[in-house]
Amino acid sequence: MRFRSVFFKLFLCFWLMGAVITAALNLSVWLRTGAEPNPERNRGAFGEALNLYAESAVQVYDREGPQAFQQYMNRSMKEAGSELYLFDANGQNLTSQRTSEEAASVVSEIQATEQHVARVSALGRLTWGRPVVAPSGKTYFFVVRLRQPYVPRNLPPLGTAISILISGLIAYFLALYLTSPLKKLQSTVKAFAEGNLDVRVSPALGRRRDELADLGREFDHMAEQIAALIASQKRLLADISHELRSPLARLTVALELARRNSTDKATTALNRIEQESERLNKLVGQLLTLTRLESGAERVPPEMVVLEELVQQVVDDADFEAKPLNKKVKALELEHCRVRGSSELVRSAVENVIRNAIRYTSAGTAVEVYLRWRLDTAVLTVRDHGPGVPETELGHIFEPFYRVSEARERTSGGVGLGLSIAERTVKLHGGTIRAENTPGGFEVIIELPLAPLPAPVPQTLEKQPVF
Amino acid sequence: MTSVLLVDDDAELSKLLEEYLQSEQLSLEAAHDGPSGLEKALSSRHAVVVLDVMLPGMSGLDVLKQLRQKSSVPVLMLTARGSELDRILGLELGADDYLPKPFNPRELVARLRAILRRTSGANAAAHPVHLADVELHPESRSVSCNGKPVSLTGAEFDLLYTFLRSPGKIISREDLTQAALGRPMSPMDRSIDVHVSNLRRKLGPYDSEQERIKAIRGSGYVYLLPGEQP
Repeated sequence: MRFRSVFFKLFLCFWLMGAVITAALNLSVWLRTGAEPNPERNRGAFGEALNLYAESAVQVYDREGPQAFQQYMNRSMKEAGSELYLFDANGQNLTSQRTSEEAASVVSEIQATEQHVARVSALGRLTWGRPVVAPSGKTYFFVVRLRQPYVPRNLPPLGTAISILISGLIAYFLALYLTSPLKKLQSTVKAFAEGNLDVRVSPALGRRRDELADLGREFDHMAEQIAALIASQKRLLADISHELRSPLARLTVALELARRNSTDKATTALNRIEQESERLNKLVGQLLTLTRLESGAERVPPEMVVLEELVQQVVDDADFEAKPLNKKVKALELEHCRVRGSSELVRSAVENVIRNAIRYTSAGTAVEVYLRWRLDTAVLTVRDHGPGVPETELGHIFEPFYRVSEARERTSGGVGLGLSIAERTVKLHGGTIRAENTPGGFEVIIELPLAPLPAPVPQTLEKQPVF
Repeated sequence: MTSVLLVDDDAELSKLLEEYLQSEQLSLEAAHDGPSGLEKALSSRHAVVVLDVMLPGMSGLDVLKQLRQKSSVPVLMLTARGSELDRILGLELGADDYLPKPFNPRELVARLRAILRRTSGANAAAHPVHLADVELHPESRSVSCNGKPVSLTGAEFDLLYTFLRSPGKIISREDLTQAALGRPMSPMDRSIDVHVSNLRRKLGPYDSEQERIKAIRGSGYVYLLPGEQP
């Protein structure tokens, strides 16, 4: 159980409240009965018994003398544990027993009121007394102090404990009732955030009709709208992709047909058409990828991406591509890194950054790739040996269609979206991307959070991230 | 003339392609939606099927799934560029190769020829191969593992055949692509990895839990014998 949870707080609050109320109630009842016993009690069977007791005790004393009374008293004390006192009209103790405090105060009250007096001590012990007129006409005050609590009632501490336990149980269920929809709402929101757009709260709430249920239904309503929005966004992107590419596909085929039926004179122009349509096609693809990344329609799946393998593959492919340009791509350091996300998206990000580096590195040089991990981050550095970027423009190079220098960009044939796609992808994976000028070159640094390690660490891996 | 079935909703593109393929000695028949494409593909009149993933009504992947339940006709998939998921799903469902759309028709012809070369029964006279728990019969193009038959697509079969001919040796991804897909590897091409992982999944590891096909980073793949370390 989490001690900061609403459930725990509610439970504790309710229980504390219940316990305090029970304790206060018990205390007040207990104090009240202790201070002023119910005078009605004298009329009941118990009162009757006490009256008989008093009369018979006085008769014994009056008729048979102090000695007989002493015997009577001893027997009564032995059998019932009660203390008996007999006083004369002046309040003089007629027994050999020492007058206890309670007895003394009861006697003085009887003298004052000439009526029966009952008093209950804090522990529930009753001291009771009344004036009795003996057959001989003499008045005595009879006082008895009972050993047992005179009313059969629970001991206050036990009763309080039981009530507190019961109130705890009630508090538990009440807190559970109030917080269970919150729990359901929480798990649903979590599933929704993780990309399951079909989850709803209402079925779990059943026929509940309170503010929490309203909140759940509001959430469902919102989820419905978001899901619809994302679905329409996806559909729109798919339609755009289809509609833009269909003419391009026809164009490519028509172009090849034209090639067949044309003379050599047209070849240059046809090559140009092919090149431009290929460029258009690439641009459409990149634009769609960028839009998809920004629209929120793209979600990061919780796949495990083995970064060093992925980087190695991209480097191999890129090196193959760079060969005709008399350039190289080299992976100089590849440490074991696992990140969570989409391997396709991460691959495209790494590819775009490396391609960009190939474009700018000088002929005869190599693009250097380093993959290292630091604490909880995988750090991928791609360094080229090119002209670099003016410091003032470093912050802008990840903006779509941003051109550092018109002339250079045109000859290299870039469309300026690769780095934007890389930036959006890295962001989507909770990482950062930045660019820096280095002596004799330029580097792009991608940082991605490492995935938590699975429990057993394979022994073949000599170096592993430590958390 | 070899007959090719094109399942694509773009009728104009089909017409242009038909004209182009004509001169390549390939006759093209077109279907413009999923159900009719599936029906034609099942008729066994075509040597190869070119299937667009984006189809109205019934997705190309569904067509492929249903087609594979009854037929092993080679399939070349046309995918939208950038949707890697379709491509991987398609290869997993048993497509032999893929081509991102829009494509150059020269590339299409090269891919079709590669597929046709592989499936034209060049291995008819070859002897069966028996290696550890795997048995491969080139003449019937059937494979069994641990005595149980394993259903492989054309590309997966050729890939396994290549592996079994040189077990324990590292074979580069380029060579594997050439052998299994009948074409050179293009940069940023991941199809061979998908085929290898499909093959791995279908055959499973050895009884001792040892990996059967191991990736060697930067080099390629190696088919291991039981108890062997790369």
